[in-house]
Amino acid sequence: MVSRTNDERYSFIAFARNHVFVTLFGIVTPVLLFACFIGYPIVYTIYLSFFEWNGMAPTKTFVGLANYQYMFGDKYFYISLTNNLKWLAVSLAFPVVLGFLIAYAMRVRAVYFPTLLRTAIFFPVTMSLVAVGLMFLLILNPIFGAFDAVLRALGLGFLVSEWFGDYRIAIYTLACVGGWAFTGLPMIFYFAGIGDVPKETFDAARIEGAGHLRMMLKVALPQLRPVTAVVVMLTLFESLKAFDLIAVMTKGAPFGRTNVLGYLVYLESFWNSRFGYGATVSVAILVLSIAIAGLLLGTVFRDAFDV
Amino acid sequence: MSSVAIPARRSTIRRLRYAAPRVFATLLAFVLAAIWLGPLALMVITSIKPNKEFLNGPFALPIAPNFDAYQKVWEGLNFGVLMQNSLLYATTGSALAVLLALVPAFALSRFEIPGKKYVFALLLTGLILPQQTVLIPLYATLRFLHLLDTRIGLIIVHGVYGMPAQILILRGFMTTIPREIEKAAQIEGATDFQIFTKIILPLSIPGIVVGYTLNFIAIWKEFVFALVFLNSESILPVTVGMLKLNSDRYITAFNLPSAGLVISQIPIVILFILTYRGISSGNFVGSVKG
Repeated sequence: MVSRTNDERYSFIAFARNHVFVTLFGIVTPVLLFACFIGYPIVYTIYLSFFEWNGMAPTKTFVGLANYQYMFGDKYFYISLTNNLKWLAVSLAFPVVLGFLIAYAMRVRAVYFPTLLRTAIFFPVTMSLVAVGLMFLLILNPIFGAFDAVLRALGLGFLVSEWFGDYRIAIYTLACVGGWAFTGLPMIFYFAGIGDVPKETFDAARIEGAGHLRMMLKVALPQLRPVTAVVVMLTLFESLKAFDLIAVMTKGAPFGRTNVLGYLVYLESFWNSRFGYGATVSVAILVLSIAIAGLLLGTVFRDAFDV
Repeated sequence: MSSVAIPARRSTIRRLRYAAPRVFATLLAFVLAAIWLGPLALMVITSIKPNKEFLNGPFALPIAPNFDAYQKVWEGLNFGVLMQNSLLYATTGSALAVLLALVPAFALSRFEIPGKKYVFALLLTGLILPQQTVLIPLYATLRFLHLLDTRIGLIIVHGVYGMPAQILILRGFMTTIPREIEKAAQIEGATDFQIFTKIILPLSIPGIVVGYTLNFIAIWKEFVFALVFLNSESILPVTVGMLKLNSDRYITAFNLPSAGLVISQIPIVILFILTYRGISSGNFVGSVKG
């Protein structure tokens, strides 16, 4: 639409002068809103992490790196951090892999009634995690729950556990419930992604006698690297901001063993009135997100977006 | 005759050999569908099961089904108010997000703006940012503006945080609109504003519907912002108000929380049915990929 000959000399000012409306409402407004509601809060959180503040007092006390020192000695910080990583591991192993398998099965028409399956798996994506959490509290109830009843009926009674009471498995229970609600999203992304792969690629592989396993590993996955990169990033951020299910189902119990970083921020800030320390844990989440995302984009997915 | 029958029989066998793995895979798919639909069906069944039938076990079908639990939970939790609030937040918050996103999406889909990639980087940051990272400053800002614990405060936050995703979705949609029409309009001397309002906007309506719907669902599900920024019972959305179902008073009778769950999901089910084809086919995914 805009015709010009020299990219380099074309300045923003010149563009703004020619396109006042677009510049004002298309660029300036969103950037300002971003600065006020997203950029400034991030900077303020980092600033606050060097202070002690109860959230009410007019003055904040500068404490330097004391909050960070405290954090690295805080048992609950390590428990929460480990739990976030466990959550991430479960999310990559269960919803992402399953989502891919289902999407693949539907696209190669390996199952009848693909729409039924897709609808069933996608529906929980639209549910609030509060509702999902309450639902699974009832289903996993140790006395009246349906899940244990199903296990017993299938002769798997030995698997019945204290799903929330046992501190060793509680976080995995939560992560699996989260996975149940999340699977639809990777599935839809892969479903759309596989739809974009030229059909001839699959046909050619099949004619050469490739089985489904080889088709998935050698044909589908290599072509789907950008989708996988997006899905893995989504899963990463979803895992690092886990909060709702914890708040509904366990509130960190037993003994803070199901705390995650997101919940720790909330507890320390809004229950213990330690806003400075809450901000410090927030910074940890931020650094962790950027670090892991950067690491993945720099190594495994380095060329994912060039395709 | 037999020479004709043999190939026919062979093709039946071949068809069976072709169908067998598919039948097996379909059985697996049914198991999966059961794992995903089972809990939902169970909740619906439990919600219409009278309390005295509770001890018959979780899978016993209701003998004398009734809707008492719905009435009780609707009154006990003031569900009418909660639903109104959630509807208000979801409709206005999404409208604000779409409104804020329209011109930026137009700008990013049509113009070679110097520094475009930095705008994209900002958008992506807004999209993936963990909410907890901005919770404390937003809380302080809203209190400073006297918007803490108000409806309008939450709506603004939802609108701004919905904007980045909306820009990407709408931009993706607008990129697919052919440029010939606007080229003609340009030759006739139309301004950017006229092109936007007369050509792009009317043609973007399907994209706006998809974006609005996704945002509506996102706000209906949202929990953290509402939990932290709101306090008064009268303005809480369903997600926060529903937390009460998790108290001993309600959890002793499964039919009450189940009924609450079903109620909370009804608007989304309606929306899901109305927009199912647009959303679950994953058409929006392409635009999110950028």
